[in-house]
Amino acid sequence: MLSVLIWLPVVGALLVGLWPGASAARLRSIALAFATAGVLWSAGLLWQFDPARPGLQFVEFIPWIAPVGLHYSLGADGLSLPLIALNSLLIWIAIYSNAYSGERPRLYYGLLLLAGGGMAGAFAAQNLLLFFLFYELELLPFYLLIFLWGCSEKRGYAAMKFLIYTAVSGFLILGAFLGLVLLDGSSSFAYGEQSTAALPLITQLILLTMLLVGFGIKIPLVPLHTWLPDAYCEASPPVAILLGGVLAKLGAYGLLRFGLGLFPETWALVAPGLATIGAITAVYGAFSAIAQRDIKRMVAYSSIGHMGYILLAAAAATPLSLLGAMLQMVSHGLILAILFHLVGVVEAKVGTRDLDVLNGLMNPIRGLPMVSALLVLGGMASAGIPGLVGFVAEFLVLQGSFAAFPVQTILCVVCSGLTAVYFVILLNRTCFGRLDNATAYYPPVRWIERTPALILAGIILVLGVQPEWLSRWSEVTAESMVTPVQSAANQPKMPAAAASLSPN
Amino acid sequence: MNIDLAALNAGTLWPEYIVTITLIVVLLVDLISGRKASWSLPYLALLGLGIATATLLPMWILENPVSFLGSFTADPLSVVFRAFILISAALTVLMSVRYINQSSLATAEFYVLLLGATLGAMLLSGSSEMAMIFVALELLSITSYLLSGYAKLDKRSNEASLKYLLIGAASSGIFLYGMSLLYGFSGGQTQLTEIAPRIVNLGFPALLSLVLVAAGICFKLSAVPFHQWTPDVYEGSPTPVVAFLSVGSKAAGFALAIRFMTSAYPGFSEQWQTLFVLLAILSMVLGNVVAIAQTSMKRMLAYSSIAQAGYVMIGLAIGTQEGYSSMILYIGTYLFMNLGAFMAVVLFSLRTGTDEITAYSGLYQKDPFLTLVLSLCLLSLAGIPPLAGFFGKLYLFWAAVQSQAYTLVFFGLVTSVASIYYYVRVVKLMLVKEPSPQVLAYSEAGDQDGIQTLKAGMLITTVATVVLGILFPPLISLADTSLRATPSLQQVRTATPVSRVSTGAQAPADHGR
Repeated sequence: MLSVLIWLPVVGALLVGLWPGASAARLRSIALAFATAGVLWSAGLLWQFDPARPGLQFVEFIPWIAPVGLHYSLGADGLSLPLIALNSLLIWIAIYSNAYSGERPRLYYGLLLLAGGGMAGAFAAQNLLLFFLFYELELLPFYLLIFLWGCSEKRGYAAMKFLIYTAVSGFLILGAFLGLVLLDGSSSFAYGEQSTAALPLITQLILLTMLLVGFGIKIPLVPLHTWLPDAYCEASPPVAILLGGVLAKLGAYGLLRFGLGLFPETWALVAPGLATIGAITAVYGAFSAIAQRDIKRMVAYSSIGHMGYILLAAAAATPLSLLGAMLQMVSHGLILAILFHLVGVVEAKVGTRDLDVLNGLMNPIRGLPMVSALLVLGGMASAGIPGLVGFVAEFLVLQGSFAAFPVQTILCVVCSGLTAVYFVILLNRTCFGRLDNATAYYPPVRWIERTPALILAGIILVLGVQPEWLSRWSEVTAESMVTPVQSAANQPKMPAAAASLSPN
Repeated sequence: MNIDLAALNAGTLWPEYIVTITLIVVLLVDLISGRKASWSLPYLALLGLGIATATLLPMWILENPVSFLGSFTADPLSVVFRAFILISAALTVLMSVRYINQSSLATAEFYVLLLGATLGAMLLSGSSEMAMIFVALELLSITSYLLSGYAKLDKRSNEASLKYLLIGAASSGIFLYGMSLLYGFSGGQTQLTEIAPRIVNLGFPALLSLVLVAAGICFKLSAVPFHQWTPDVYEGSPTPVVAFLSVGSKAAGFALAIRFMTSAYPGFSEQWQTLFVLLAILSMVLGNVVAIAQTSMKRMLAYSSIAQAGYVMIGLAIGTQEGYSSMILYIGTYLFMNLGAFMAVVLFSLRTGTDEITAYSGLYQKDPFLTLVLSLCLLSLAGIPPLAGFFGKLYLFWAAVQSQAYTLVFFGLVTSVASIYYYVRVVKLMLVKEPSPQVLAYSEAGDQDGIQTLKAGMLITTVATVVLGILFPPLISLADTSLRATPSLQQVRTATPVSRVSTGAQAPADHGR
């Protein structure tokens, strides 16, 4: 079942790459057909998923390389399934919205589909080495997508920075996995068979730190984030959507799944530090976004800030906060996708991303009224205005974390306010004001450019009003993930961990 | 002296006989029919190599592998390495057809020398006696010197040959001195396995011989600091020769290293393993770091091959069953990816006449097939999933982690990141939009006979590079069988019981504590 989501795009990529003599439009329609099939298939999976059952569903297992312990083992639970579905949706949007940059379509659609298959595989993998395999598989398609279809001259630099940061992150993760399986006496790389309980604390801390840094690069957390603004800004809008919408989620997913899932005891120990880093990330992202003059960079920094909430929620590790973290991943994916898409449209039509040049796009006749309206909606969703999906996620995160880390939580609340500040700056400078009569002859926005944003806006609105449709997948999983942490915290041998869960 | 013919067990050398016969046939056909038949020589060579490989198959596990009174051991280990050498020779023939024609070099002698080198390398992988080892080593070396200086009108080829000859002869001398010490210490034994018990208690003198022998072997492996010849020889020699040197010659060197170290120095395993740890780290670091700064493709591949030898040495340095097995597998995957990369380089330089990395820029538009082959091979060398190189590296690192060689794994992982940089740089250049002048003038019009074989070889290596990852489990069991059936490796420890990594994920998770 899950295999289909991995192999469908890969087959699509091969087909796009090898289809003899096809025109760009034909290639696009092939790629779109495969992406649509992926969306439908993941909708089917969501339909069949039984949210009341903890544990894995749609399990698949094929023995592969036994001496190394690498097996083709897939499964989904409430943590991964929404992300898999998000991945399918965003791949579809990335391919659909690309009609206007048709250069070298064969390679472009092939790489997009390959990246999509790889990300689905990473979310579905239930074997540590298989996860690493898919994780590394992301490296090259995204490098090439940033490098070959990037926006400006700086794209080579940005792509190489992305490549090296991600490669380092991959090898840290591999090192941690190898070390973990060797040291803990478990017998395989199958996820869930490792138990760190018997390991000495210092070893656990080293392994967990490797994982934290490895995934922290990808999320990204604050001292490890410097690849992000460059990579997001240089990437073309569809690639930026995938980078921010899905790839960043891969880091957060890995942190929750492997950091929290494999090291429940040490997690409780390092939680205060993580919560602080999360809060710092949020504050840093917000303040940096305020300082930007480029709307894409603003959105990129806002992305850093929003990922900070996920870390705070993961550190608190209460059922509510974990549910909040999972919701935040999905909602941030949707919001970032709509923002990057709209910013891309604005740039394509107006020809600039500079806040000091943009003005008055809300003008109903000569401006870009619908794009502006959607931009306002996206900005409000990002800032956490009730009625939109961002609010639900943020509120759950904050409510779930307050008991554990009140100071950090309050900092994050302040950041929510700051988010509103920079989005108001953004909207004020872009949408409001007056058009410059000399330059305001913008090409019309076609429906093909509006549709993705309209779909995303619809989803954001519906899930904001009816959050149950988003949270029902993950509730049981969130609770089951918390249990080992709580039991670890209640053990008397770790007073520090216990203290961290009580208000201090 | 009365020799019992049955005790010679001469049948184990059938592949070598066939290579020799082919060599003679190639020479004779050229002598008799001259220019007219020169087109057929590569196919004759291919045929001979094919038959030799076929005769190798029934020897997979022999009852009595010892032949020629102990000079040669046809154990499965040697069979594996001989197969590697035969395959790499065959692929080298595929890529040299057009190259030799176009550079108007004499045809017959090239294949004769190549077959001679193949023969030397094959004998070297099975030799278990010091005189035999030296003879085989020199056969390989001398033919390699000749091959590297084959393009005699090219100054760089001459320089390469001279450099290779001088350094190679010096290292042969050192190797010979080490072996003479061994001969003396062991009271006149030349059999490796006979030497071992006699030098166990010797201490420093034995270590002296160990260092000298290792220096000689490491020259063949181009392990740092015995690597200085590699970049210059690779840059100057004809490219097909380089391809053979980087794979066939290296495989023979590793076969020799495994056999010599485990047979003659089992009592000093700690010392030589420490030595190889050091050499592996130096090779990985230097090879990868210096490769970043290269501007010529062949030079970059030279440094990359130094680094790749460093990765293989991880297996040797940990000296466990898994280590040797991962080593064999890595050489097996390295064979295809490196030869594939060299074939692409040959094709590109045939059509444009240059090896500069910047000349590859924009190749995607003109020749997607070449771009695909070179990209896949380079990415496999870098260890990007799901290509063969990724699994090879993973298995190497896992073997090292199992024997707790964390330093090696650390350096392996860090240098892998560095290597991604320079391999991907080439891929990136090929995919950019702005074509180089050489690519603008790129045409497939001048292609004549011989290009088809080259393309066939590229196809074979690329398919192997992609498919070997999925076929990895049978390969592992193959490598394991060969190790287990090899007498000289019987005493090798396994890091952990084989059942350590269970085959199933269904085993109940024990989280409930």
